[in-house]
Amino acid sequence: MGGFFSSIFSSLFGTREMRILILGLDGAGKTTILYRLQVGEVVTTIPTIGFNVETVTYKNLKFQVWDLGGQTSIRPYWRCYYSNTDAVIYVVDSCDRDRIGISKSELVAMLEEEELRKAILVVFANKQDMQQAMTPSEMANSLGLPALKDRKWQIFKTSATKGTGLDEAMEWLVETLKSRQ
Amino acid sequence: MFAKLKKKIAEETAVAQRPGGATRIPRSVSKESVASMGADSGDDFASDGSSSREDISSQLFRRNEQIRKLEARLSESLKLAKFHSVNYTIRSLATQKIKEKLEIALEKHQEWSEKMDQLEKEKRFVTAQLQEMKNQSLNLFQRRDEMDELEGFQQQELSKVKHMLLKKEESLGKMEQELEARTRELSHTQEELRTSNRMSSDLSQKLEELQRHYSTLEEQRRDHVIASKTGAENKIIALEQKEQELQALIQQLSIDLQKVTAETQEKEKVITHLQEKVASLEKRLEQNLSGEEHVQELLKEKTVAEQNLEDTRQELLAIRNSQAKAINTLESQVKELEQTLLASEEQLKQSREVAAAQEAHIRELAATNKESSHAQQQALAREKQHMEHAQALEAQIASLERAQASKQATAEQGMRELERENASLKESRNECERALQHHQFELKKLKEEWSQREIVSVAMAQALEEVRKQREEFQQQAANLSAIIDEKEQSLQEKAEVLLQKEQEILQLEQGHNSALLQMHQLQNELEALRSLREEEASAAIEQEDLLRLQGPGQKVTSKAMQDPMYQLPAVGRTPNGEVGHVDLGQLQKEKQDLEQQLAEKNKTIKQMQQRMLELRKTLQKELKIRPDNELFEVREKPGPEMPNLAPSVTNNADLTDAREINFEYLKHVVLKFMSCRESEAFHLIKAVSVLLNFSQEEENMLKETLEYKMSWFGSKPAPKGSIRPSISNPRIPWS
Repeated sequence: MGGFFSSIFSSLFGTREMRILILGLDGAGKTTILYRLQVGEVVTTIPTIGFNVETVTYKNLKFQVWDLGGQTSIRPYWRCYYSNTDAVIYVVDSCDRDRIGISKSELVAMLEEEELRKAILVVFANKQDMQQAMTPSEMANSLGLPALKDRKWQIFKTSATKGTGLDEAMEWLVETLKSRQ
Repeated sequence: MFAKLKKKIAEETAVAQRPGGATRIPRSVSKESVASMGADSGDDFASDGSSSREDISSQLFRRNEQIRKLEARLSESLKLAKFHSVNYTIRSLATQKIKEKLEIALEKHQEWSEKMDQLEKEKRFVTAQLQEMKNQSLNLFQRRDEMDELEGFQQQELSKVKHMLLKKEESLGKMEQELEARTRELSHTQEELRTSNRMSSDLSQKLEELQRHYSTLEEQRRDHVIASKTGAENKIIALEQKEQELQALIQQLSIDLQKVTAETQEKEKVITHLQEKVASLEKRLEQNLSGEEHVQELLKEKTVAEQNLEDTRQELLAIRNSQAKAINTLESQVKELEQTLLASEEQLKQSREVAAAQEAHIRELAATNKESSHAQQQALAREKQHMEHAQALEAQIASLERAQASKQATAEQGMRELERENASLKESRNECERALQHHQFELKKLKEEWSQREIVSVAMAQALEEVRKQREEFQQQAANLSAIIDEKEQSLQEKAEVLLQKEQEILQLEQGHNSALLQMHQLQNELEALRSLREEEASAAIEQEDLLRLQGPGQKVTSKAMQDPMYQLPAVGRTPNGEVGHVDLGQLQKEKQDLEQQLAEKNKTIKQMQQRMLELRKTLQKELKIRPDNELFEVREKPGPEMPNLAPSVTNNADLTDAREINFEYLKHVVLKFMSCRESEAFHLIKAVSVLLNFSQEEENMLKETLEYKMSWFGSKPAPKGSIRPSISNPRIPWS
């Protein structure tokens, strides 16, 4: 009953909130990216123990953005948030060469989930302002992105602190979400 | 004395010449100041010549003073000369010389003075010129300032005049509109006048008609009144006559009545008389019984008399009736007459009322007549008013036209002024055009710059194209990479084929193992057969000892047979010696053990091969991105020790049901958020909360239903089912 009416209302107003998850290993810059997207400022963050959820409006599209903590102990709880997800922003620290393998395996395991079968994947090669940062193509290969099938994905080099690359990435995401609808 | 004078003169001249040079500097400074004051107007008049002239004039002035002093001293000396007349003769020569000198000096002085005069004149002239020039320059500046001011004023006035002109034009338009409105009004009032005139004439006509009508009505009334009066009089007369007649009739009737009453009285008297006769007769009868005849006769008479009486009575009655009838008729007549009288009186009243009404009507008519005359007078008054109004309007029109003419004149003057200003503006426009040319020049320069920039942009575009080419190259690289991927996939397939081959090999090995086992059995059988053979051939073996010694290389053969059991049989078959057979038995047992070890090893290798095959299959499936199935999950949950590097520990989909250690901080955070966040967000948190708190599926569903009810505008609250209770009583997994 409620669902019926809510579907009617959503069809009437046409603006369903897009649900986006920001995932990635701890210290990749997920929370900084979330608040950079929401308020356009760099906020000082502490390691996220639980999650942060904010509503971000970009190009008349409303996003309910969930930034889930990436610490090893709470990574298992990611899958509690997978249902009804439109897109996943996977944030990778471009300088963390040691843990890129872990990042890859986490990403691969995440993408195998049935609930995320239709989710769009946007990889943020973050911390590109650092000198020792890996190139996006290098990272795409390290993460095994070219092997992905039946998945819309794109990698963007970003710097959350400098604010570069986020607009392009969001632009692509918005266009992809719009074209998918 | 004179020598002193001369010296003094000489000194003074020397002194007078010196300051001339000294005074030059400040003068020149003043000149410069003048020049600076004159701005552009330059040094036209200020030249060195004029300065020398000034010097000369100052010198002249000093000389003049000296000359005056000299003259004064001369006069003094002359006085002294007179005083010293005694010494005159002695000093005559000297004085003559001095006189001569003095004369010469005087001449010189005169010449000097003439020159001085000339110079003075010149000086004055020059100073006057200077003054004039200064004045002129000042005037020039003033005029310039004035000119500027005037220009400013002119512009202001120009704008004012324009403004005024516009205003006047506007007022002119307004006045014209007013004029039109007034003329319209005028025509309107004239029309009204005409209509009122027409109305007045109509009214007068009506008045006349009404007067005529009135007169006729009056005549009619008179006639009617006279007629009605005469009719009424006639009627009255007739009625009076009738009354008289009736009175006469009444009198007659009364007389008749009296007669009748008299007759009746007489008759009653007769009756009474007759009754007395009857009574007397009866008495006579009673007295005279004898005379019957007489009695009879008397009776007869009596009856006759009685009859007569009755007749008379009847007659009387008849008369009485007739009389009564007559009286009735008369009375009815009288009543009728009275009624007719009343009717006639009513008619009279009516006629009087009619007359009164007519009189009222006449009065009304007269009133209307008066009113109409009054209306006529009003109409006339209005006509006059309209005329006056029209005259006033015409006067206004005339004044407006005059004002218009004056305004037009002023406007024309303004126009002339404006034309003049226009000319000045044209000049300014020319200046502007010059400025424009300058700007165009600048524009050209800018265009040149632009073209340069365009070149730069072209270069940029080229760079962009290069970048595009690079991109295409990258795309090609990507295509190559995809090709490589395909190749890798092919290699993977090949590997799978190899795997299959290996499986086949394993099968073969198993077969080989089975065959080996079979061989083992055969060998054991053969061993037993050999043992029996050995017992049988024990005697024969002793005989053949020598022969065996000779067969040295035969042992080598057995050693070979020990290595390969296939060669063992013929070798053993040839062993006749029991000891050697014993040794062979030990060897065979060793071989058997070896074989068993080999078998165990092979089994191990088979197991290893199977494990490797499993690994390879898993990696193959992982590489091929086959849908995750339970087998894979099992593998990932308990990853084998032989492939730790292939998949680093994945935590994000570790089994949470096994994880007893629930991160309390995380639980706290999630629950806090779940309670505080929006319902749409809370909906997505249900699963996390359920997982963290080990909710059962029913509990989770209940939570979902409750939240859906809260989120939706409709629907009813889901009833809490009896089976779903908070799972404290029956926790699925107790967590410490």
